[in-house]
Amino acid sequence: MDMWASVGPVAVFIVLLAVVAVLRPAFLGGGGIGILAIQATPILLVAMGQAIVLHVGSIDLSNAAMAVLAAILLAKALGPLGAPAPLVCIAVVTVIGAVNGWLIAFAQVPSFALTLGTLGILQAASLVISKATTVYVTANGDLLSPLFGTALASLPAAFWVGVILAVLLWAMLRFTQLGQGMTAVGLNETGALFSGLRTRWLKVLAFALSGLLAGVAGVMIIAQGGAASTNGLGSDLLLPGIAAAIVGGTAITGGATNPVNVVFGALTVALVPIAAAAVGVTPQAQSLVYGLVIIIAVALTMSRSSGVVK
Amino acid sequence: MTMTNGASTSILDAPTLKLSNVTKSFGPVVAVNDISLEIPRNEVVGLIGENGAGKSTLLKILTGLHQPDSGVIEANGNRVTFRRPQDAVAAGIGVVHQEQSLLTNLSVAENIAMNVASSKDRATRFGIYRWGRLNREAAEILDRIGAKIDPRTIVSQLSFVDRQMVEIARALRVDEMVHAAPLVILDEPTSVLERNETEILEREIRSLKDVGSVIFVSHRLDEVLRICDRIVVMRHGEIVAERRTDAVSEDELFRLMIGHESRAAKRPTGDRSGRQQPVLEVKGLRRDGAFKDVSLSAAPGHCVAIVGTLGSGREPLCRAVFGAEPFDAGTIEVGGKPVRSWSVHKAVSSGVAYVPSERRVEGMVGGLTGAENLTLAHPGGTRRGPFLKRRARAKLAEQWYERLDVRPRDPRMRLGRLSGGNQQKVVMAKWLLADDLKVLVLDHPLRGLDPGAAETVNAQIRAACEGGAAVLLLPDTLEEALEMADEILVMRDGEVTARFDLSIDSPTTLDLLEKMV
Repeated sequence: MDMWASVGPVAVFIVLLAVVAVLRPAFLGGGGIGILAIQATPILLVAMGQAIVLHVGSIDLSNAAMAVLAAILLAKALGPLGAPAPLVCIAVVTVIGAVNGWLIAFAQVPSFALTLGTLGILQAASLVISKATTVYVTANGDLLSPLFGTALASLPAAFWVGVILAVLLWAMLRFTQLGQGMTAVGLNETGALFSGLRTRWLKVLAFALSGLLAGVAGVMIIAQGGAASTNGLGSDLLLPGIAAAIVGGTAITGGATNPVNVVFGALTVALVPIAAAAVGVTPQAQSLVYGLVIIIAVALTMSRSSGVVK
Repeated sequence: MTMTNGASTSILDAPTLKLSNVTKSFGPVVAVNDISLEIPRNEVVGLIGENGAGKSTLLKILTGLHQPDSGVIEANGNRVTFRRPQDAVAAGIGVVHQEQSLLTNLSVAENIAMNVASSKDRATRFGIYRWGRLNREAAEILDRIGAKIDPRTIVSQLSFVDRQMVEIARALRVDEMVHAAPLVILDEPTSVLERNETEILEREIRSLKDVGSVIFVSHRLDEVLRICDRIVVMRHGEIVAERRTDAVSEDELFRLMIGHESRAAKRPTGDRSGRQQPVLEVKGLRRDGAFKDVSLSAAPGHCVAIVGTLGSGREPLCRAVFGAEPFDAGTIEVGGKPVRSWSVHKAVSSGVAYVPSERRVEGMVGGLTGAENLTLAHPGGTRRGPFLKRRARAKLAEQWYERLDVRPRDPRMRLGRLSGGNQQKVVMAKWLLADDLKVLVLDHPLRGLDPGAAETVNAQIRAACEGGAAVLLLPDTLEEALEMADEILVMRDGEVTARFDLSIDSPTTLDLLEKMV
């Protein structure tokens, strides 16, 4: 069972990819993997943030909205500020994430309710800042273009940034005191608290990381599209992000996640609509296929290790 | 006492339950190994053994929670297979689990009905509760065991002891079903009961014998001897002995359980008081509604026990010392320094440790491994900067597992999968491995532990004392207080009503009781 939990997400992705390759061999030959990686990158970044938050036993419904806000801010700021602009935008949403975490940990507001509220506030802020239109990058757009050049194995640099972040997060959870503390909080918050861990600050950290990764996702959105709006690229990342985290084996109940597997979760979630179109599923039936594949993938990959018999 | 001795051969007198060569393994661990056992009608069978001896697994097999890998189970002469708990209930087996399994958001009557509601029952009509009947029947059965509980009460509002009585009432309900001979399993039902409630239970068990059989699991050997007709001893997953109660002594049972002979020597009562600076000093501590004007001090190596009934305020007091609950006035000094903005984290980093009574919920993280739990509070040498040194941690864990005889001896196993006594050893070790343990707060450290594990834990408490820690102990029993403590404080309604310095006084349990109530 433990074995399956670690290879399940990879296996599900490979099987799905194999099905597509058999039905439509042109998909693999025609740069389909590159397109897939580009589609998967923002989902992956948001999903990793979600996975960390789920890992400490909470949920962040606002991180996709943070990604959009970061993208809009960046579209506005890239011209005037130049190279520091992405860092500034990432910092802003990291702080927003930390505030989320602080309110959840110290004011004891349930994360579901609080981040639902933050989601609304962030959407309103995005509308105001963008004046409800599409904001285009006016200058310095070429600063970010290398992110979508091919870097390695015919995949864009942006995707590899996501992979590197996944490996770093995995290492943090596995090899550091901090990561072990987060795992303990997700498994049993009281038990962790009574062992002297600073459980509340660990939660704040998880939400700050979710903000940071959402900020990076915002940067990727601008790098990919050169523009941002409240209903444009990245505006529907929330549910794919959650789906990718869970397909990647993250337990909704907390305490079990593997960011490297979330990479495959994101690839799976991104592959389904592309594959459905490539295989020739009618547009009407595409969300049906999406829904079914997600349910099956979650059933196959979800970590049940902390559950009881039956 | 002697209703049946199991020698009867008539078909009608087939044993209530018969196990033949039942085995169950979890991975490489054989929890129950080739067990054959008969529970005749009208007999109370005691089942004893150390934590981890396989009793719980055996009971889970009997109640349909685990399926055996091999072996045959027969109920009333018929071969049965329990695929789920309902199957066991349908076969007339009722159980009171060691850990309470009531649904705390429902009423007492609903909980009592729950056992039977799944089978054909008169408590519902068209799937809707017939409340009048439900409450009446619940009241009847509660009355039978002498519990004064309103069946309409929501379970979460009941005290721990009352909940236990409801659990027992629920298990007894199977005998109202049409089965010829029900079997009621009581898994340590008395470990949290007070003496007079235990007597009610004993009476009830004897009356149960007239209609069916009982398996009684307990760590209190005197109780087992008083209640049971026959006693089965388990060790390392096997049945090592079966004795008739009238032909066995408490000492022999203890030997059979542990596999060797040793009751640890009592704590030497040397001169530990005075001279040294107290490492824990509590002055005029008050929390409205819980305790008031409590002062106590403990020098290094000094054990202060606090005794009192439920609601005496001793639990909130010791949690305040650990920073887990607030206080309104007074001071706490640890190592000579008064604490400010006290929190659990600060308490732990100042060398205060706490072993809570709710072990699974508060004392440990069951989903982490034993090794991870061990180093959670004081990683010490098992970290370098922010990084964990996994090999150093594994080595440290192995040493402690060896020293405390934790079984199974695999620190990589999730702590939640160990038995209660072995979990408690790890929880103790988590604090004992700290470099500067100053104050050890123990809230019912022996609750639910078998004599062997209790001995290990007590030995570790003494070792902590010798290592210079002060111990604040909330014991399960007055005898435990008299055995372990240098000083005993008696609390009643949030106030200290008496102090006994055991180097001068030698109070009896009666002296203590007098001040408690």
